[in-house]
Amino acid sequence: MEGTVDFTAWNKSVFAAAAKVFLCFLFSEMRDKLRKWRDENNRNSEQIVDVGEELINDYASKLGDDIWIIYEQVMIAALDLSRDNLAMQCLHELRKQFPGSHRVKRLTGMRFESLERYDDANKMYDGILQEDPTNTAARKRKIAILKALGKTTEAIRELNEYLEQFVGDQEAWHELAELYINEHDYAKAAFCLEELMMTNPHNHLYCQHYAEVKYTQGGLENLEISRKYFSQALKLNNRNMRALFGLYMSASHTASNPKANAKIKKDNMRYATWAALQINKAYQLAGRGKKESKNSLKVVEDMLEALQITQS
Amino acid sequence: MPEVEISPRAYVKMQLHAAKFPWRAVNGLLLAQRSGPDPSQPCLLLTDAMPLFHTSLALTPMLEVALNQVDLWSAANNQVIAGYYQANDQLTDRSPNLVATKIGDRVAEHMRGAVLIMLDNGKLSGEYSGPAVVVYERQDNRWTPKDKNLVMWRDWAGTRQALREMMAARAYRLLVDFDDHLDDIRRDWANGAVNQRLGELTLTPDVDTDS
Repeated sequence: MEGTVDFTAWNKSVFAAAAKVFLCFLFSEMRDKLRKWRDENNRNSEQIVDVGEELINDYASKLGDDIWIIYEQVMIAALDLSRDNLAMQCLHELRKQFPGSHRVKRLTGMRFESLERYDDANKMYDGILQEDPTNTAARKRKIAILKALGKTTEAIRELNEYLEQFVGDQEAWHELAELYINEHDYAKAAFCLEELMMTNPHNHLYCQHYAEVKYTQGGLENLEISRKYFSQALKLNNRNMRALFGLYMSASHTASNPKANAKIKKDNMRYATWAALQINKAYQLAGRGKKESKNSLKVVEDMLEALQITQS
Repeated sequence: MPEVEISPRAYVKMQLHAAKFPWRAVNGLLLAQRSGPDPSQPCLLLTDAMPLFHTSLALTPMLEVALNQVDLWSAANNQVIAGYYQANDQLTDRSPNLVATKIGDRVAEHMRGAVLIMLDNGKLSGEYSGPAVVVYERQDNRWTPKDKNLVMWRDWAGTRQALREMMAARAYRLLVDFDDHLDDIRRDWANGAVNQRLGELTLTPDVDTDS
């Protein structure tokens, strides 16, 4: 009737509007999550597929140009989870949109890798490199295949050759360090990490990793170097627990080393004592009000005590 | 040679650790009760698994810290470090490498009859009905595969069912290893939460521990 408000219709439209706002919010939250994960480069493939699959199935039209990079992101995550159908769905869309693209060809190669069709994958990458010898992504995939096949020596050789050409590629230096560590070639791993520390002097993780390698190499000189670099890592980030524990361990071992002179012993006892105090503080802070953490704190206290006893 | 028995908790936690980091090699320690019921016929009952690392297994400083902490924790909980487990990062590689044998040797120094367990990556998916582990023991200073007849299961059907349910619920996301603990020391590497959930799922009661 004229003049009266149709409440049912009004309610429905309000509800529909609210739902739209909510879904908009949900959608932008999902899109932001995917972007954050892209930036952080985490390998949280399960979460990416959970969020990304829904996004591309239900909100494709709202994504605009973002959709292509999301297809790529979801495809790689899908390969990680053996979700081949989902991977193909993404790959299909990307092929349609970017025919002949090297970036998409690389994704095709990665799919072959996930199916363990390494020869087909290598053909794909060789094809890319013939057209573009500077394509670093294809070269790295070839090295990844060598890793997957357990051909570590060849992977190391190829990676070294790659780094002669692309000496600034930090990801590659880091990968090479890891390969050397796995082969127990700590001296060469240390060299790679030295390269990384030179170009990234403020990165506490490289300092800490380098210190761990030197510690593993052993001997008084390497222990002292490791103690210096654990300290350096702590200066750069005073919440790095590995560096704190590492400082404690390296200083303790140095102080109790029979070859250490009196000054070195005294200095390192000081460092170790300081580190122990900081470790205790950190665990006390972390354990406030939590039962399991109280166990941790007791364990740490006992550990520090036990290690001090062995020094005397 | 003595028998070894694997509890549901030890087995499931090893599998969850591997499931959490499928693209990496992982390792951890195995605990046993401090004293067996019958000293003349020692059967090693593996009561728990302590997940350690998923990064750079071949580096020593954090390993030393972890070994010390787990040792002290075990003693306080009436258990002892009795074994070591590792899953290699390569799918088809289930043989113990230098890292595995070195750490295994270290554990064996303090524990007679210690075991080294390699996860069989190919069998980790739920499709296989058999256990996805290869158990090694020390014979003549070498790690050799243990006779399968001497590897017992506290409750294989219950273990398998519990693992299926934990995997379906993605409980591996809850699992904390020592690396995770070092990233944030509020995280509990003894995994009280996972233990509790597991205790609710398994049919036979687990061995009495304080955790």
